[in-house]
Amino acid sequence: MAQISDVEMADRLSRRRSRVIPLLALLFISGQAMYFGNVVAEPMRNVDAVRIGAWLVWALALLLLLATGGGLFRSKSVRALMEDDVTVENRRRGIAFGFWTAMLTAVALYPLSMVEDLSAREAIHIILTFGIGAALLRFAVLERRALRDG
Amino acid sequence: MAEGLGNRLLEHRTERGLTQAALAALVGVSRKTINTVENGVFVPSTLLALKIARALGRPVEEIFFLDG
Repeated sequence: MAQISDVEMADRLSRRRSRVIPLLALLFISGQAMYFGNVVAEPMRNVDAVRIGAWLVWALALLLLLATGGGLFRSKSVRALMEDDVTVENRRRGIAFGFWTAMLTAVALYPLSMVEDLSAREAIHIILTFGIGAALLRFAVLERRALRDG
Repeated sequence: MAEGLGNRLLEHRTERGLTQAALAALVGVSRKTINTVENGVFVPSTLLALKIARALGRPVEEIFFLDG
């Protein structure tokens, strides 16, 4: 099989990343329905603790993906190409967008908590979901735009 | 009126018979970076602009200029 250059490899991986990230973000956001569809009974059952723990691990994994851009098991040169100036700038803009989405979600939840019984865990869950989801989606959109041939 | 950064990267690249990927390899960046700089989507850093100019064997001001 012909050896492909680091530039081509980075290009392929960047394209794959820009396709996978929106799917992960949408899955993460749609997972909200599953979480709120199953009310956690008090005292908490083991199954609920596992479900909440799994969601937190998922959220942390997505944050890691957002922070590093993935490709952790690739060679140093391919990783450097995947993390060049454009990607760093796109990620910075994605994270800023996620931050403002999280802030606006928190602002919207504040008055809502006066009329709706909302636990701290539920509020954190909603804010994290929208913050991380928005940051990933924005990053992916910018990456796709940058990868578009022209 | 706001000034932007214009470039003649496409012109100089094709003149040298280089693809975006080939120029990217010479500069040490991804093809995506060359693509976005060429299309004016991304404003390159001074370092990147100088590296591109060196790879193309041209003075930087021949490739990049103030636009508008």
